[in-house]
Amino acid sequence: MTSAADGTVAQYQSWEVEEFRALEEPYYVPVSDEVELFRSAWESKVPVLLKGPTGCGKTRFVEYMAYHLNRPTFVERDGEQVIEEESNLPLVTVACHEDLTASDLVGRYLLEGEETVWIDGPLTRAVKAGAICYLDEVVEARKDTTVLIHPLTDHRRILPIEKKSQLLQARDGFLLVISFNPGYQSALKDLKQSTRQRFISIEFDYPPRETEAAIVAHESGVDMDVATNLAKMAEKVRNLREHGLSEGASTRLLIYAGKLMQRGITPRRACQVSVAWALTDDRDVQRSIEEVISSIFE
Amino acid sequence: MTDTPERVREALAAFPPSLQQEFDGAHAALSDVLSPPELRAWADDGVDIARHSLRSWEAASEYFRASPGMLEQLTFGRFQEWTKTGHGLVESSPALAGAYFRASPSALKYLSVTQAPDWAEQGRSLYKGTWKSGSLAAQYFEVSPAVLPQLPLNQMRLLVELIDSLAGHSYELASACLNMSPGVLEQLDRPDRAPFLEFGSVVSSTAWVDARVFFERGPGLVRHVHPQQRARFLALSGRVALGVGRLGHPYFMEASQALAEIDRDGHREMLELSEGLVPTSGIAAMEFIKSAPEVLRRLRPEDLPRWQAAGREILGSSPEGGEAFFRLESSKGEDIIEALSSRVELERVSELIRMYCKALTGTDVAVHSAETLTEKGVGWVDESSPTTEGTAIYLPPIVEQYLEKDENFAVYKVFATHQAARLEFGSFAFDYARPGHLFQRAARDDAEPGAADGAEAITAMEHFFDGFEDRRLAHDIFTIVEDTRIDTMVKREYAGIRRPMSRLQEAALERRRPLEEMPVRQAMIENLLRASLDETMQLHWPQELHELMQRPLTILRRIRDTGATVEDSGAATRVLYDWIRQVPNVELEDADWSEMTAPADDEEMIDVGPQGGGEGAPESYQPNLPHGEEQPYESPDPIDFRGDFKPELVQLLMKLKNQQMGEGDTPPVQLTKEQLQELLEKSTEINITEMSEGDLDESTGMFLDNLMKEVEQALQQAAQQQQGKPGEGSDDDEDSGEPLPEVPESFYYDEWDFRASDYKPRWCRVQEMHLEHGDREYYERTLTEHAQLVAETRRQFEQLKPEMFRKIKRLPDGDDYDLDAVIEWIVERKAHAASETKLYYRRNKVERDVAVAFLLDMSASTDEEITKHQPNSAPASGDNFDDDPRKYLSWWAQKRAQESRNPAKRIIDLEKEAAVLLMEALETIGDTYGVYGFSGYGRDNVEFYVIKDMDEQFSDGVKERLDKVSPVRSTRMGPAIRHCIYKLRETGAKVKILVLLSDGRPQDHGYGRDRTEKEYAIHDTKMALTEARREGMTPFCLTVDRAGHDYLKQMCEDMGYEVVGDIESLPRRLPTLYRRLTQ
Repeated sequence: MTSAADGTVAQYQSWEVEEFRALEEPYYVPVSDEVELFRSAWESKVPVLLKGPTGCGKTRFVEYMAYHLNRPTFVERDGEQVIEEESNLPLVTVACHEDLTASDLVGRYLLEGEETVWIDGPLTRAVKAGAICYLDEVVEARKDTTVLIHPLTDHRRILPIEKKSQLLQARDGFLLVISFNPGYQSALKDLKQSTRQRFISIEFDYPPRETEAAIVAHESGVDMDVATNLAKMAEKVRNLREHGLSEGASTRLLIYAGKLMQRGITPRRACQVSVAWALTDDRDVQRSIEEVISSIFE
Repeated sequence: MTDTPERVREALAAFPPSLQQEFDGAHAALSDVLSPPELRAWADDGVDIARHSLRSWEAASEYFRASPGMLEQLTFGRFQEWTKTGHGLVESSPALAGAYFRASPSALKYLSVTQAPDWAEQGRSLYKGTWKSGSLAAQYFEVSPAVLPQLPLNQMRLLVELIDSLAGHSYELASACLNMSPGVLEQLDRPDRAPFLEFGSVVSSTAWVDARVFFERGPGLVRHVHPQQRARFLALSGRVALGVGRLGHPYFMEASQALAEIDRDGHREMLELSEGLVPTSGIAAMEFIKSAPEVLRRLRPEDLPRWQAAGREILGSSPEGGEAFFRLESSKGEDIIEALSSRVELERVSELIRMYCKALTGTDVAVHSAETLTEKGVGWVDESSPTTEGTAIYLPPIVEQYLEKDENFAVYKVFATHQAARLEFGSFAFDYARPGHLFQRAARDDAEPGAADGAEAITAMEHFFDGFEDRRLAHDIFTIVEDTRIDTMVKREYAGIRRPMSRLQEAALERRRPLEEMPVRQAMIENLLRASLDETMQLHWPQELHELMQRPLTILRRIRDTGATVEDSGAATRVLYDWIRQVPNVELEDADWSEMTAPADDEEMIDVGPQGGGEGAPESYQPNLPHGEEQPYESPDPIDFRGDFKPELVQLLMKLKNQQMGEGDTPPVQLTKEQLQELLEKSTEINITEMSEGDLDESTGMFLDNLMKEVEQALQQAAQQQQGKPGEGSDDDEDSGEPLPEVPESFYYDEWDFRASDYKPRWCRVQEMHLEHGDREYYERTLTEHAQLVAETRRQFEQLKPEMFRKIKRLPDGDDYDLDAVIEWIVERKAHAASETKLYYRRNKVERDVAVAFLLDMSASTDEEITKHQPNSAPASGDNFDDDPRKYLSWWAQKRAQESRNPAKRIIDLEKEAAVLLMEALETIGDTYGVYGFSGYGRDNVEFYVIKDMDEQFSDGVKERLDKVSPVRSTRMGPAIRHCIYKLRETGAKVKILVLLSDGRPQDHGYGRDRTEKEYAIHDTKMALTEARREGMTPFCLTVDRAGHDYLKQMCEDMGYEVVGDIESLPRRLPTLYRRLTQ
């Protein structure tokens, strides 16, 4: 969590975590009424839970929504608040892992010289900035994170910062969005009811063949015929779910395959590396998928 | 000078009178043949013989009797040489000489007189001075006249040597064989006789007891071999027998039987290849021949040398390994055959194809061999056609059309894809009332005159076919149209399959019968079928009837359009039927055959509305129909890759299943047997006579039974899928009827052959089954009995439960500062000492993810009691019953009761008690565990009993099963361990432990070279344990066999094991060990 170097021209772009926002409209094809649902939820400060398999567009959807939801933005920088013009919402994304603790989200003291300095964690910064905070795969995080989520997600909209003995009221615009993949988490890692029932839940699944083909074509640049074949193949492979395959082939993988094809890799090979081998290590299942691939692609 | 006869008679008077009679007879015959001096010499010789010793008069008698005959063949000089030879034999044994003289007249027909001494000498060589040898030698002379025509004298020596060698073991056997020899030799071709005897000699020297069998069956066995290769085969067998001793003859028998199964023209090469192995291993050479029929079922003959070469190479480095290779008991061998073989076996690819079809159809479709469907007897009869009955795809068991494996696999793929496509694209979803996309309606408002009205139809398909008078024609057309639709859909949707599919289509086209032989209507159907295989193909068709064919082709082309449904196929069938039906099925004579193609797309709208079709031919065209005598119509030959198509039957089956399950949109109508029977009779899809012979009524009844059975089975499967695994039915659904007897699930495992350093592929069959339920009491009683121990172990185990989090200090980053570290750091900084910045701590979650499998030895030996009860101790002296019988009786009754409560403990009881304690303890800690027992007999029958499965909840059922643990049979540990490995692997736990609890070394029938061999079993067990380790499991062996140290040391070389010395401490010991293992 280093701050951006002032005055130096960097070869790379860097943002304060709460300042990051999409510059161009993220590509997203709505499948159903999820856009309206999300907008209404944000307007009425109702937290959102996104359910669905990996690679079906949950993250992209959040980015898309963040881009389209507008409000005046305040950014805290060097202790002062800077008001920026009305713009789309910043988006703070945290990928949760099993060692992610509450202090990773809220912040901690760091040593600087002989003093300790408090550094805000991403959730704190999102709360202050009024950003969308997106906790990806939230069940993976440790249980103590729920302590933070609960007061933030009900009417209070408060983030307790235990170590500083502070309570932080969330700024307008702040919305907690979590994602959850019911497919492969074991029963142990289910979301607790008390947590679940603080969110409205939008279910995602892989888009229908035509939509998916359009997405793949757009994202990877392959023509519609190839994209349709990719989508068809994915549909077939998804039939093998619960069958040595915990997850079906994601749209993301199809896009990868498409990109490889655009670079001149043969379709069969591209699908083999980006779908068959990516999905599983089981030789038999790989073979089956490869047979599906070789049936669809010449 | 005395008259010769008189003098001789006098001399012979000392002997029995018969001798004199013989002399007189011979003398009378010879007096004209011989000159007087010769006659005298002749007579003197006879007298000499007679006088030689006690019984030699008998030989003399034979001499006289044989003489006239001999002198017809010989000059007197030669005759005397013959006599001299006989005289010589008298020296050995008069009986021998007698036999010699007796046999000579007939034997010498086949010998030159110069050979006679040699012949006699061979006989004499059999004589060893004993009575038995004498009679054997005499027998030699007796059989000579029968043998000599078949065997030249120099080869006769072989027979004599053989007999002589047998005589060394048993005169009876030698004599029996000698007696058989003329018959035996007669059965053999002349050039084979010497080799036969040579091999016989080897047999008699290596395994003399087999000689009789060899004589009895040998000639027949040799006949299995190509005539020109027989000598070679015998020589080969001989060479091998010299090396392998007693096994030589059995190998000879088995090898010749194997050769009988192989095409004779291949024998030469086969033997050549086998000979190439002899220098290294005779066993391998014979095993090679023995396995050849099996191998040739999987390999082409051209590949055999490569297979042999691969084996020879292994043989070079390890004889045992090579022999196992040729015995087909080696995994390497399997791999090589698999690699060399171009054919594809369904068994090997069925799982792959199943998943492939599942992916395509999105349903849980099963894949089986077509044979299994024909066995069900529900209408399908072709064992080699791919087909489907709606829920599963059936494929031929092997495919070997092409020389390349990949191509053969591609054939399977096309087969499977076509059948899957029938499911995917709804061939069986035909709905009578639903309109198609391209054509208007399949339904016919007006049934063809003469056809059934179809109102009573059970299925839509039946209803549809009911509308046609010629049901078979309609069915044939529908099959062609629907297959065209399916093929087109497949090619459109699955571009990758186009090439292999086109190849099969071309191949199918090449095999079609010539059109010219068919009557017109049949030829039209045939042409339609050809067009369905290749739309661009040039059709062969009479010039004058081009227009007649044009329309059907146009219709068929339309079905290839995007969006065609099965109802469109139905509608197209109707139009085609009406069109084709008007064509008489007559022979075409003098037709002007020419080529035609299907018309290019004309935009003619084929409207099949009620008014569009109408009856008979459309008005626009009145073809000039041929005339002639109506011929019987035959369905076109089926197309291999499309397989059987029985939509009517499939719909019926689906309907029956749905109705039974109470599903489906229609309210369940009970189908009557009559309805089914009617369907059966009219449907062209079922041919009862093809399915079974015999009474039609009976067959029909059987078919209906089978059909219902099939439906029942489907129901049960569906029910089981809902309930979870079979055999685990919980108490609450017991009322759903009698549970089915559990069918053991079979698993196959390799077995390690340490001699060959290779696995024997799929060697053992493990049959997994649940133990039956016993008394729950047992479990509870054990707990009460060991209440204290239970409490103790439970306490110990509770301590095992990990703390949820453990604080890890001195990290560069973490949850928070570790205050001690910070203070230290500040101090060091103040002292300008180098400072360490690892100041954080983190709480790490400690997870316990343990799965353990307990494997209990249930072999018969666990039946042994360990603590003998004290002998019925009489009441101690302190007891005083005061001679009161009632008191004594009550004491006695008490004692009996106690005894029955605590019978003598057996090893198995302690195993069970240990298991009870452990299960109780494990429940507190929450580890995944399974308890299994194993026993069995032989490699095909390793019984694996589930007491508690890994993923099963601990329940009363488990307690009841534990009660039934009892000693059964043998101990084949390897496969049981391998099955446990499989079970553990399935759990996916981080820590996996396998505990084997046994009472002795592994042993089983065939678990080793012979009964006494222990090495093999130990090595296999060791390898199984090593496999467990390779999978990241911790195997541990626990035995109560005091002699366990010696073999456990070898078996568990670097793995944990323990010999529990004090057997009774087992229940206490096991939990302790478990803790140690998992910590």
